Amino acid sequence: MNINKYLNKKQDSSSLAIFRLGFGFLMLFSVIRIWYKGWIKELYIDPSFHFSYYGFEWIKPIGDYTYLIFLVCAISSFFVAIGYKYRISIILLFLSFTYAELMDKTTYLNHYYLVSLISFLMIFFPANAKFSIDNLISKKSYEFIPKWNVDALKLMICIVYFYAGIAKINSDWLIDAQPLKIWLTSKYDLPIFGGTLFQMDWVHVFFSWAGMFYDLFIAFILLYRRTRPFGFFLVITFHIMTAILFPAIGMFPYIMITSSIIFLEPETHKKILDRVSSVFRKYFQKVSSVTNYNFKKAKFSQTILVIFFTVQLFFPFRYFLYPGELFWNEQGYRFSWRVMLIEKKGFTEFKIVDGETSESFYVLNEEFLTEFQERQMSFQPDFILEYAHYLGDYYNNNGYNNVEVYAESYVTLNGRESKVFVDPNIDLMKEKRGFSNKEWITELEDEIKGF
Amino acid sequence: MKHLYIKIFIALLVIVSCSKDSDEDYGQNSSQSNVQTTTNSSSGSTTGTTTGTTTGTTTGATTGTTTDSSSSQGDTFDRGSILANYSENIIIPRYNTFKSSMDILKNSIETFVNSPNSDNYDALQSDWIDSYKKWQYVEVFNISKAEEIMYGLTMNTYPVSKERTDNNINEGKTDLTNPNDWSAQGFPGIDYMLHGIAETKDAVIELYNSESKYGDYLLTLGSVMNENTIQVVDDWTTYKDVFNSSFDNTATSAFNMMVNDFVYYFEKGLRTNKIGIPAGRFSSTPLPDKIEAYYYSKNSFGNLSKTLALESRKGVEELFLGLNSDGLEGPSYKSYLDYLESEIGSSVKTKFEEAALRIDDLQDNFLTQISENNTLMLVAFDALQTIVVNLKTDMLSNFNIAVDYTDADGD
Repeated sequence: MNINKYLNKKQDSSSLAIFRLGFGFLMLFSVIRIWYKGWIKELYIDPSFHFSYYGFEWIKPIGDYTYLIFLVCAISSFFVAIGYKYRISIILLFLSFTYAELMDKTTYLNHYYLVSLISFLMIFFPANAKFSIDNLISKKSYEFIPKWNVDALKLMICIVYFYAGIAKINSDWLIDAQPLKIWLTSKYDLPIFGGTLFQMDWVHVFFSWAGMFYDLFIAFILLYRRTRPFGFFLVITFHIMTAILFPAIGMFPYIMITSSIIFLEPETHKKILDRVSSVFRKYFQKVSSVTNYNFKKAKFSQTILVIFFTVQLFFPFRYFLYPGELFWNEQGYRFSWRVMLIEKKGFTEFKIVDGETSESFYVLNEEFLTEFQERQMSFQPDFILEYAHYLGDYYNNNGYNNVEVYAESYVTLNGRESKVFVDPNIDLMKEKRGFSNKEWITELEDEIKGF
Repeated sequence: MKHLYIKIFIALLVIVSCSKDSDEDYGQNSSQSNVQTTTNSSSGSTTGTTTGTTTGTTTGATTGTTTDSSSSQGDTFDRGSILANYSENIIIPRYNTFKSSMDILKNSIETFVNSPNSDNYDALQSDWIDSYKKWQYVEVFNISKAEEIMYGLTMNTYPVSKERTDNNINEGKTDLTNPNDWSAQGFPGIDYMLHGIAETKDAVIELYNSESKYGDYLLTLGSVMNENTIQVVDDWTTYKDVFNSSFDNTATSAFNMMVNDFVYYFEKGLRTNKIGIPAGRFSSTPLPDKIEAYYYSKNSFGNLSKTLALESRKGVEELFLGLNSDGLEGPSYKSYLDYLESEIGSSVKTKFEEAALRIDDLQDNFLTQISENNTLMLVAFDALQTIVVNLKTDMLSNFNIAVDYTDADGD
């Protein structure tokens, strides 16, 4: 197909408007939820130390002003939803939410990464073309927007699902049914199935395979008109089920369900929007309808998106650049749509050695980290290294010299018996943070076949 | 078909808005752990255990759960049976045993204060020892009323603060609810009142005879400990049913809180406080003055630290194995691990025995042990450490205990 012809294709602007409404209100709800539960204080203000993403150490919580970040996020979400000063609002939403997510990687969640990506994409699309406050102000609304806008969003969702599916093609997941074996068995308190089916091996295996097939194929089922209703039914069933089974995944099911609305036919979008907007019809009477949205700087946006998606396609495979088992050393694990894939717990303490006097002692982690941070730190190598450096610097500044830091670390992965995770003879102060291979992580000594 | 979508969408919005995550009840629980954390890092720590050993006092042992430990795989494992076994065969009997010793201790405090003489002193000292040993078996149960009134912290925060206690004595303080007073009461408080205010028995008795403020404060300690104990023990008569039926996998269920209490106590109460901190594992030099029952050893009245450590270890071992008063294993963390086809249960059981030997290798007097051969202390520490690793990684992973109140990916 001719590229230019494709780029000139139009789609009803209802599609973007519906997505904007869903996404905006869902984000508003998410932020209120985070606020209401006291997590802003608990996760960002109370801890004295924060785990940063490499290269983003300059992004930190800003004391009580951290609330402002979330306030900006909430307000801009609402403005996005109602389409008020849309462009600036979506940019603010992207910036504030992404900033919040980068403040401490202890709270990393795949779906929050997805939120950042979607809000980034939305910057480039005229999602306020229809049924927006901006229409009322400019007294103009637009019937059609470029089809590639909608397709870009679909592509994003497809990547999430498909890559999540690929990640499940491994022997732990498919053969040993781990970690679902552990997780489902522990759901003994669910009515009817909890104490019966969820205790059975074949159920664990069945759920594992079903989960893999769902992730691999759901995007394609949604893409084709004939299978779409069934696909939408699957999306709802699957995600509601995960919400019940794994309450701790929070907003994830709802974000995915809402996102998948973009796959519906444009006519359906239009129909829904007409329904919703009929209530507000009188306000829109003075708005004159223009057929095509005049897309400014289309070339620029397209270039950005091509780069964006190229990165998205390759980034999850960066783990090929590292030796060793991905699930064990987690080099290239995050930002790759590996969701609900491993059950890992660790125990890690640090030995501080004064390089001049050879005095040594172990650190009580509770003096520096919250429980949640300690739990996350204990099995993730980049956390361990960052924290080791923090401790080393701390003691160098507090009466000790040439401090060396050694880790005593044990980790269990997907039901395997715990074993030593970090070479105890390596001075972590001499190991640089960054993307180079962390040779001080031990071998898993077991092969997990597949991706 | 088109209308269907609209309906589904609206239904979704309803579901989303009504949906409730398991992380709701965050507030209560975190306060528990936070408080514990703070105290430990600052002053010294808490420790404890109880003796369920013999003493069949109780009515508690009546009910259901005898020994039905091994449920074969594929069958449903009844987590409720663990709670029932724990509450009926372990927790309540231990509390009753402890409460009796506490009553006796309170009485002998009164007798001694009324007539401070050598015989009454000896009786009081021996009752303090007996009660302190039995305490080692109940400190782990930081749940319900015990959690609410900070029972463990008021009973056994050590090292005792000499300064704070002297102040309280001089002021005639009777209200000891301020957290700063945690380190001026409980068993360490009595330790100081019996072995710390002067260096010899005669000198101590002399102080009680010459100034009433010592007797007054000792009476206060006794009655506060006793009142708190009564509250906690009474609470269990009603809390038992709640406890037994609260075995769902949520952050606030009794089952999960009990697992967390157990792991927490083993790591902090036993490993860190009794051995780790005094042995200098967490400081550049050993800190012998942070041992449990410090003044008793320091002023050469006798030695108790090792005994308390051994009792504590025994208490958690029996809990792990679900031993009833006849010494038979019942539904427990061990049997649950077995059901989950994990080898860890058996391996931890062996390590418990190993740890007993390593603690037993130590001298009765931890002060001399630390100054003469601290390595043995560290060996004992390592024996406990290896259990902590299994509990915190393998056991918690296998149980998949919900502890996170925040969202998690499952990664």
